[in-house]
Amino acid sequence: MIGKLLRADFLKIKRKGFWFLTFLGPFGVVALQMVNYGVRKDYLLKQSEDDWGYYLLNVSSFTPLALALGIVILTSFMASIENETNSWKQLISLPVSKMNVYLSKFTVLAFFLFLSSVLLMVFTIAFGVFLDLGEQTPFVEIVKYSFYPYFAALPILALQLWIATVSQNQGIPITIGVLGVIFVYSAMVLPDWMIWKWPTLTNEWNEPMINVLLGIGVGILLYIAGMIDFTRRDVK
Amino acid sequence: MEYVVQTENLSKRFGKEEAVAGLNMKIKKGEIYGFLGPNGAGKTTTIRMLLGLMKSTSGRIHIFQKDLRLERRDILKRVGSLVENPSYYPHLTAYENLEALRKILGVPKTRINEVLEIVRLQDVANKKVKGFSLGMKQRLGIAASLLNNPELLILDEPTNGLDPSGIIEIRNLIKRLPAETGMTILISSHLLSEIDQMATTVGIVTKGKMIFQDSIEALRMYAQQRILLKVSDSKLAWRSLLGKGINADWQDEIILLTEHSNEGVAKAVQSLVQEGFSIYRVEEEKRSLEEIFLQMTMEEKAV
Repeated sequence: MIGKLLRADFLKIKRKGFWFLTFLGPFGVVALQMVNYGVRKDYLLKQSEDDWGYYLLNVSSFTPLALALGIVILTSFMASIENETNSWKQLISLPVSKMNVYLSKFTVLAFFLFLSSVLLMVFTIAFGVFLDLGEQTPFVEIVKYSFYPYFAALPILALQLWIATVSQNQGIPITIGVLGVIFVYSAMVLPDWMIWKWPTLTNEWNEPMINVLLGIGVGILLYIAGMIDFTRRDVK
Repeated sequence: MEYVVQTENLSKRFGKEEAVAGLNMKIKKGEIYGFLGPNGAGKTTTIRMLLGLMKSTSGRIHIFQKDLRLERRDILKRVGSLVENPSYYPHLTAYENLEALRKILGVPKTRINEVLEIVRLQDVANKKVKGFSLGMKQRLGIAASLLNNPELLILDEPTNGLDPSGIIEIRNLIKRLPAETGMTILISSHLLSEIDQMATTVGIVTKGKMIFQDSIEALRMYAQQRILLKVSDSKLAWRSLLGKGINADWQDEIILLTEHSNEGVAKAVQSLVQEGFSIYRVEEEKRSLEEIFLQMTMEEKAV
């Protein structure tokens, strides 16, 4: 059941630029460091004894922002596919359960965001090696910086998908999405309970794992809430 | 009698407004059921409830003698539908649009070409739907509704926005399907002439209530002509007719004969002449189905 829906959803995103955006996000994040290190590599290498660590810090400062932006763009694309000609009614009048329809949309988005996290890891390593930052490549750290923000951002994904699928007016999810990106940008001053702070992996205990676990937990809760709301609503 | 679709006291309320109020619909197998009503009468709301897109406020729906609430997915496997404006994915080709639905329905790939052929879109199968005319999109929607070889086809205003040749094409297609496949069709429209040419049974709905549900022949009975007589002293004349045992009505100085066989009319005229009334006009009034429809829906409004 869910397999059929997923295959259909992957067909529907054709020519919508999902694959390109998935590449562009992580590439952009690393490209900023290409510029940064290209212009002032000597200065940057002097900043810290741990060149890899300092480089990862630079890369990861843009990851949450790119992630939040990516979530907003991909969810609104995803919803627009069905909203454009209101094909929700056609989809839901097929022998499918609404829960599976919602799950399929979420899974496709989660897949693309995960893929871009993988690409982020690959690009980070590739440019780091190119910069010749030292013998020991800190793979564990790179994996953490690539995938922790992804899990910590799941609540944002669940929230955006919920809003985008149930809103008649697509201005609403975009507005909330843009606000979210601004929140992520100003995460420093946000309290720890705000989901937009979590992808930055900062909290008062200085333990990124808390954000990851919170992200998964709250992400699941928001996903279930969105799914239940979606199934209960009449299809317009 | 086994009904393919049966609703009992189906109601839907949006806030204070009751869009569908205690609707009882019965559709027999193999029928083309014309679901007729003015705009905003509750046709689309009813159809959405039949497809499980909306939950009814109260009442029950049985399709294929199964409860829609309990066996929605089993029912929908055997139903094809086109609701209001056609839905499509404009960035995909006609073929891809159907493929996206086919993947979910799990019918063989060859079925896509079959349905494209039925609606005559095989030549543009690999063009993006974005560039299609409204008529082509509508036909694509019908093709989509036929993908799973449905036993019940639900079409909501399928000829909306089509040009005359498109309308005729779709009409012929709809007439053909029950004969060829034993399909039952529910087709809604606000145009009686449209339904008149296809349907075997008619349900007329207004303000969310079913005000007529019977065969198209029964509806046509209402359309029988009446004979109008304009005479001098019409009220007296009318009484004299009644006195002779001729059934007639009197309305606004006009006598309406219920009897309209040639002999009956002749007898009434002869009797009036003998009584000394001057006959000004003998007219035949034909009521079109349109008028009946209007009258039925107007009466409902007056109440």
